[in-house]
Amino acid sequence: MSWPLLIAQVFNGLTLGALLVIVAMGLTIIYGALGVVNFAHGAFYVLGAYAGYIAYSETNSFVLAMAAGAVFVLLSGVVIERGLIRFYYDRPKEDQILVTFGAGIVLVEAIRAIFGGLAQHLPTPSWGEGAVHLGITYYPTYRIEVLGIVAVALLLFYVVLYRTRLGLIVRAGIEDPLIVDMLGINVRRTFLTVFGVGAAAAGLAGVVNAPIVTVTPDMGADVLVQSFVVIVIGGVGSFWGAVAGGLICGEILALTSMVAPSYSQVMLFAAMALVLVLRPQGLFGVTGRQ
Amino acid sequence: MIERPAKSVSRRRVLKGAAAAASVGPFFHAPKAFSQEAIGNWPAGVSGDSVFVGVTSPLTGAYSADGADHLRGYQLAIEHLNGGGGLVGHISTLKGNGVLGKKIDYKYADTQLKPNVAVQEQTTYITSNKAIMITGCVSSATAIALEALAQRMHVLNMVGASGADETTGADCQRYGFRSQPGAYMAAKALTPTLGKLYGKNKKMIFLVPDYAYGHSVEHATGTLTQQELDWKNLGSQVCPLGTTDYSSFLLNVANSGADIFINVCFGGDAVASCKQAKQFGVLDKMKMVVPNISAFQAQQTGADIMGGVPGTMDFWWTLAEKNQAAKLFVDAFEKKFDAKPMWCAHIAYAQMIVWADAVERAKSFDPVAVIKALEEGHKLAMPLGEVWYRATDHQQVRDVPVVMGKKQSEMKNKDDYFEIIEMAPGPGLMPPDAGTCKLPGYT
Amino acid sequence: MAALAAFLVTFPFTLPYVGGAIDTADRILDWGLFGLGFDLLFGFTGLLSFGQAAFYGVGGFVTAWLLVANVTANAIPALVGGTLAAAIVGAVVGLLALRRAGIYFAMLTLAFGEMFYFLDLSPLATYTGGENGLSNVPAPRLDFGLFAITASSQMALYWLLAALFFAGFWIALRITRSPFGAVLRAIRDNDERAAALGHDVPKYKLVVFTIAAAYGGLAGGLLGLLQGFMPPDAFYLATSGQLVVQTVIGGSATLVGPLVGAGVWLYLYTLLENVAGIGALGTLILGLVFVALVTLFRGGLVGAGVVVWRRLAALPASPEEAVAERELPPTAMAAHTTPQGEIVLEVSGIAKNFGGLVAVDNISFSLREGEVRAVIGPNGAGKSTFFGMLAKLIPPSSGRIVFAGEDITRVNATEVCQRGIAKTFQINQLFSNLTVHENLMISALAREQGKFRAAMFRDVSRETGAARRVLDVADAVRLAGRLDAPASSLAYGEKRRLEIGLALATEPRVLLLDEPTAGMSPAERTETVQLLRRIAQGMTIVIVEHDMDVVFGLAQRITVLFNGRVIAEGAPETIQADAGVRAAYLGNPVPDEQPA
Repeated sequence: MSWPLLIAQVFNGLTLGALLVIVAMGLTIIYGALGVVNFAHGAFYVLGAYAGYIAYSETNSFVLAMAAGAVFVLLSGVVIERGLIRFYYDRPKEDQILVTFGAGIVLVEAIRAIFGGLAQHLPTPSWGEGAVHLGITYYPTYRIEVLGIVAVALLLFYVVLYRTRLGLIVRAGIEDPLIVDMLGINVRRTFLTVFGVGAAAAGLAGVVNAPIVTVTPDMGADVLVQSFVVIVIGGVGSFWGAVAGGLICGEILALTSMVAPSYSQVMLFAAMALVLVLRPQGLFGVTGRQ
Repeated sequence: MIERPAKSVSRRRVLKGAAAAASVGPFFHAPKAFSQEAIGNWPAGVSGDSVFVGVTSPLTGAYSADGADHLRGYQLAIEHLNGGGGLVGHISTLKGNGVLGKKIDYKYADTQLKPNVAVQEQTTYITSNKAIMITGCVSSATAIALEALAQRMHVLNMVGASGADETTGADCQRYGFRSQPGAYMAAKALTPTLGKLYGKNKKMIFLVPDYAYGHSVEHATGTLTQQELDWKNLGSQVCPLGTTDYSSFLLNVANSGADIFINVCFGGDAVASCKQAKQFGVLDKMKMVVPNISAFQAQQTGADIMGGVPGTMDFWWTLAEKNQAAKLFVDAFEKKFDAKPMWCAHIAYAQMIVWADAVERAKSFDPVAVIKALEEGHKLAMPLGEVWYRATDHQQVRDVPVVMGKKQSEMKNKDDYFEIIEMAPGPGLMPPDAGTCKLPGYT
Repeated sequence: MAALAAFLVTFPFTLPYVGGAIDTADRILDWGLFGLGFDLLFGFTGLLSFGQAAFYGVGGFVTAWLLVANVTANAIPALVGGTLAAAIVGAVVGLLALRRAGIYFAMLTLAFGEMFYFLDLSPLATYTGGENGLSNVPAPRLDFGLFAITASSQMALYWLLAALFFAGFWIALRITRSPFGAVLRAIRDNDERAAALGHDVPKYKLVVFTIAAAYGGLAGGLLGLLQGFMPPDAFYLATSGQLVVQTVIGGSATLVGPLVGAGVWLYLYTLLENVAGIGALGTLILGLVFVALVTLFRGGLVGAGVVVWRRLAALPASPEEAVAERELPPTAMAAHTTPQGEIVLEVSGIAKNFGGLVAVDNISFSLREGEVRAVIGPNGAGKSTFFGMLAKLIPPSSGRIVFAGEDITRVNATEVCQRGIAKTFQINQLFSNLTVHENLMISALAREQGKFRAAMFRDVSRETGAARRVLDVADAVRLAGRLDAPASSLAYGEKRRLEIGLALATEPRVLLLDEPTAGMSPAERTETVQLLRRIAQGMTIVIVEHDMDVVFGLAQRITVLFNGRVIAEGAPETIQADAGVRAAYLGNPVPDEQPA
């Protein structure tokens, strides 16, 4: 174990974590604002990857593929919210979980039925090819660019959440949904937007990650579980919680690989258990919403 | 008004129910066969003019492409056995009018790559359809499970695709016969070629998915290259099964100072890890070896990455250029399915042919007789050359194709991903009789 | 139960007619057994777990390993060992996962389930066979000491499974009919209220979680025995998911729902496989069926079946007979013999800040036994906060609360209720899916059996002490004629009375009433005052109210809050005449013209 390698792994943890942050961000604002734990979040991730794949096959532009992925999933999220989820706001929370879980299954199986199980190939964009020498080690250019893309997306999120009226409503709704409702704010329309945006975050992550991994209908299963771990660690409904949680999880994965690589996944759950014992609401969690 | 609760369970009712169950039970034990020789589904399953073969294959899940290919092999084989064509006719015992004059009837089920589902489906085929033989899988976990089922139910299992040593090692069964080379055989086949390509005294590093199969391939390859080529093992990057992002492991690999990168990942994991290895510059610093190349890997990974990468496969379609039997098989397959057969299809097809031949030679479907016929070591001319089964562990003795990926520029057609650089002769590859396999009894 | 026995006996013979094999029947029963525990957890307690596969796998592999490694050749201790191991693991996971409620809980169980999958695959692979699972599990040999049976044939295995399912069902049924089961249902409906009424909710949840894990472990062990092979997919997330889907499709909170759901699942796959081209769509179709059922028929197939059966049999809905009200002597509700006049509740220097906002600023307050005290004040005076602190829902920033000589400043709401302080909520916190009788029973049980009792095998209808109290309280709040009505079907006024009844049934020494007449019509308000006057005899009451008619009609003493402090305290006439109070309310302090 050498210092340069350690630093390289720490850096790698950032890129691993960056995607987790985006996915978790979507999950956490949906839960924070709507109180719905979106068990279909992994399916949105997969949907985005496939949408991006199709867009890329048609246009050969990766930027368009990213946009297509995000937009398509946003629209899908809106359709699902209007068509299904909105009937569940007054139903017990468990029913909401069940319906998103079922919707997730249906989405993934539909993708499998259309595209088959063979892995699809979304190549790295031309501006992302090759590797950069970081002084310590070679690192794929694309992954560094992913950091950039994620940072831009996070900035957009931040601006929307903290500088716009919509964001104010969302944050208020996270703190105290009852008051927001009683103030007569059109919460329903806000819900729609939030669900769509949250889903789009997962979809964007799917496209962005597609050149790195393989595009298969099952690619989202791990993502769902990992994003849950992230928001438990970071704290639900919290912007900085998603950021911190995602980066911490990324680092856990990267650093464990140096010491006990076969335990890297298990370590995520161990960390989650630790947070549960020491600080159940998560690092940045607000004890407001249970 | 007091809510009157429903009648709670009275002791009487419980006893009544239990008595009812117990009284009926003894009369319905499966009747012991009245003939001493009846075993499994024989002779009950062959009393009509057709026999049933149960086929399972993962049609959904991570290996669905291989699963579909596998199923096609069975479909082709059964078509030929029932009506002629392909290797039927080339092999003298097979007449093309079924097996021992009986048509082969079959059904197939999707295992979803879950061993438990496979066991469930095949149990139904055995009990309801009176299957006389069960076959098909694309995973060693499923193979081992089905072998155990076969032994328990006394129904023959011609193992599908399975590369673990345990299938004919610690988990061997009298009722199971496996044709694919195990991890040891593959490594033994590959090692001389590696020596020719890269020479001696190299430093190697492994990327190993953390499950039994991964470790056995790592162990076999590592030991043999050390022993025969004096290669130095710098260690293993062990990753959890199903990892999608190998960055942290590949960083360690890239900085290891090794000459040779041995990627033990298989299937979808191999595709992802090879792609990422290229991204991390691993392929620029060292040579990659994939000891077990999955059928669709080159297609999914791309020739630019797989070009120049050596490894082994159970079968590759260019054998048709060297071998009459292979040509018959490949041509017939291509004619029916408009695609080249991959090695899962080959295993399916070949196992059906070998089984049918054994039944014909035994002149009976009696599983004990068929097993003994297979154990005789009778040699058949098959697409790989001469093959036969070893009695001590039911591992097929057969040549192993050592292949190397072709660069994009070298490909003559869209399927021409690999070149067979050597056919390692079978007898020299067999694992020594280490005693890990203790075949249970015939009955 | 007899119906179940009949079904189990005939099932293996009817199944072949619909194209199934005995092995399928075995598997359906195994899933059904697995589902019994899950239904107790989810259907009856409302805890949705996506990690049950962990216990299925633990039980299965421990049982299989014990047999394969030859630790024992007897299937009985092997199954017991597996079940126990699963229960222990369940208790540990439960301790961690139950720290968070509701949705978090579902996520956590999912994550823990996955963790076990990874543990099974690699670190523990020497015991579990990793991805290959454990083969060569011998046919179950049940050694009872005096004799032994080996279940080696298909039918024998079926009888074993049928017997165990029957037994498991019987136990689960007893649990649902017991006081323990009644509390579980209350937790599902409104776990905070159940806790406020004095039930140790976390403990109940942990116990039912462990029970569910035990059922899972037994089912897992049986799976290995029935197929001679313990598969790694026992730990898959898909297994947990399949259990959830099957239970919902079949119908949760029915105990047979999971069995029916398993039948549907396995049967559908068999059906679809024979239809060419659709085989691979099995999961998609099941997913659509699942979503449709959750949306339209939440009760699942069994629930829908019950509805249809009721219609066909033209069974009447629960009757709402008018029962003659028993006239209770006023002292019937008095349960305490301590002389009036002793200080029972003493609050000293209590304060609460929320960040920079001081809501309550150094209030001291003494309550005597038998007193009826009203707490009033304009909006923003700090009444709700003060009240919340008394009811132990809000922790005070400083100060002390002493009840009957014991410091309860740091004691939680559940414990405090057990000690004798009960509260009613301003917004009704009822158990809406339970009947009035069942609602009151929950309170009565808390009084009868304390914070927690693992009374799982008694029938709740045999709890005579509690039942008597339920009747008494129902009479007192004039709901005796509505005992069989679901709480959700009551009129608003009736619901408020039930709310009071819930608190009464715990036999409190001190009753805290939070705006009991909120939202009521004048007629209802008068009725409520009469009701409260009746129960006030012999009871110590603190009541927060806005309506001055109510206040002056009930209170012996009044405490007035303003800006977080007490500005006046005394007899109603004194308060009425107090200029400071008038000024605080900014208006004429004439009783019937008080601003709301």
